[in-house]
Amino acid sequence: MPDLVWFVTRRLFAALLVMLALSLAVYLVFYAIPADPAHLACGKPCTPDRLEQARHFMQLDQSTLQQYLSFLKGVFAGRTFGDGTAAVHCNAPCFGYSFPLARPVTTLILDRLPVTASIAIGAAILWLLFGVSLGVIAALNRGHFLDRLAIGVALVGVSTPSFLLGLLAILVFGFWLNMVPVNGYVPFTESPVDWAWHLITPWIVLAILQAASYIRLTRSQMLEELNLDYITTARAKGAGESRVVLTHGLRGVLVPVVTLFGLDLGGLLGGAILTEKVFSMQGLGDLLITAVGSLDVAVVVGVTLFSAFLIILANLVVDIVHGVLDPRVSHG
Amino acid sequence: MAEPGLTAPILEVHDLHVTFTTEGGPVPAVDGIDFAVAPGETLAIVGESGSGKSVSSAAVMGLLPSNAQVTGEVLLDGRELNGLPGDELRKIRGNDIAMVFQDALSALNPYYTVGWQVAEAYRLHHDVSKKKAHERAIELLDKVGIPDASRRADSYPHEFSGGMRQRVVIAMALVNDPRVLIADEPTTALDVTVQAQIMRLLDDVQAEFGTALILISHDLGVVAEVADDVLVMYAGRAAERGTVRDIFFRAAHPYTLGLLGAMPRVDVPPKPRLTTIPGTPPTPGSITTGCPFQPRCAYTHRVGERCITERPELTPRPGQGDHEAACHLGRRPEVLL
Repeated sequence: MPDLVWFVTRRLFAALLVMLALSLAVYLVFYAIPADPAHLACGKPCTPDRLEQARHFMQLDQSTLQQYLSFLKGVFAGRTFGDGTAAVHCNAPCFGYSFPLARPVTTLILDRLPVTASIAIGAAILWLLFGVSLGVIAALNRGHFLDRLAIGVALVGVSTPSFLLGLLAILVFGFWLNMVPVNGYVPFTESPVDWAWHLITPWIVLAILQAASYIRLTRSQMLEELNLDYITTARAKGAGESRVVLTHGLRGVLVPVVTLFGLDLGGLLGGAILTEKVFSMQGLGDLLITAVGSLDVAVVVGVTLFSAFLIILANLVVDIVHGVLDPRVSHG
Repeated sequence: MAEPGLTAPILEVHDLHVTFTTEGGPVPAVDGIDFAVAPGETLAIVGESGSGKSVSSAAVMGLLPSNAQVTGEVLLDGRELNGLPGDELRKIRGNDIAMVFQDALSALNPYYTVGWQVAEAYRLHHDVSKKKAHERAIELLDKVGIPDASRRADSYPHEFSGGMRQRVVIAMALVNDPRVLIADEPTTALDVTVQAQIMRLLDDVQAEFGTALILISHDLGVVAEVADDVLVMYAGRAAERGTVRDIFFRAAHPYTLGLLGAMPRVDVPPKPRLTTIPGTPPTPGSITTGCPFQPRCAYTHRVGERCITERPELTPRPGQGDHEAACHLGRRPEVLL
């Protein structure tokens, strides 16, 4: 156990360094684009005087390095734009301030996160169950009809774009069959049933698309696993076929599957851009894509960093879970 | 060692054939062998890799893949096992007939503790609580000589040394008091000193429980020490069989002589090089007429064409009891190798 604490501490420290480097890179990239956020804020007609005022207020008249340092300071201590009665305060942790939306980026992200998390986690559970079971079935029926069918489903899954499948699902199940709502999001706290009812289509669409890689991974791992000596041992002990597969075979399959799952989920929590757009849900992906359209650089930087943070976090969690799943892994 | 032939055999195999269906056509891996083993007795099956010795034992256990076709009789206490439905066979596997594998590291599941794995074997055949099964597992781990068994039961296979791991595998095989134990090269992956410990353990177990032991090995040194009867296999067929004395002192098949000659000995001055049998074993099914050993045999010129045209059957040789060899030479050959 002390090993694990030490391991997590070290990894968190490393993650912090990565985040720092990443924030600098992201900051430089987005501030290098030839767009002046102050220009958008100053309105029309934009006199040079007002532009200069806006620049100063948004602290864009400072050097890039200085701006970056203010950004970093904001993360830990918060920051204030302007002074006097017009002052805008952004509390720590402040990942920038969106002047077009007149809200701190941190608040924007936290507002949108439940939507994205609802989509991502629900879909993830579905695709994990669906992908792994189909993969196991395919492996057990290697070369036969069910195997071909599962591989076919996987092939369709990887090659179909999410907007196509999403729109088709809306068209068929939403409009033609009128079975499910076609868009919108209802918070879980408002009505859990409506929440799930509105999410069921995006869940299934995302699950079908993502399950493909799980079907293939599970299938190939399971085939490998079933050839191992300890599977023969289990049979020699008198274990039935289902026990051999589920208790002895699946255990080894879980390790790579969990790795993939952690990284996929981490990535998806940063925003399912196309899915959110198709189903008109205001999640992180929607926040990001709208910000890009309106050149709201502060939001773009904030959401990008947040997504990166989720992926780093997912990596860490996967490594810890690895140690739990595979006793041979030591966190030395 | 019990006197052979005094007790009725617990396991009998008659005319066992195993054929694998492959893309290149049927491959006969075992081509008609017979053997029997009585309680408390040890039968050693020896032969080179690919001689069909492991396939034979897997066939007895019903552990062959679905592309294997098994014919012949496998009688456990007079009950036919070959062709038994899966459910019935499962009740026998690990319960009446248990197996010890060659490589304990790969034979144990790395994701579960050894105590769990031994307890699982017990629970598969006994309707007991997990706690009871765990206690039984510790009892067995202790019996096979794992120090501090109650604590070590919670360790994973990779946390054990090779010898201790093999003891775990043996504990797992013994947990249901099997009547027949099949040990497939149980000591091949181990150091020489550990080999001796493991063989002694198997011997003790046999003496205590009267288990019938089938030892599959290519180590004649081990065989000489523990076996009562020996079956020498070559290319899926029996080359020679008899008591351990027949095989070691009155070997009648040139292949057996070759194996004995290839065994390094401490009681004769060492030769500059290890003696080997020239050539390589035939691939299964490649020799259809004549004696399968003929291409490598140093005695063919004594017999002549018969070795190429006529397949030798097992015929009695002078020896204790049922000494038989499948060779046209007829009498015990003097050593040529």
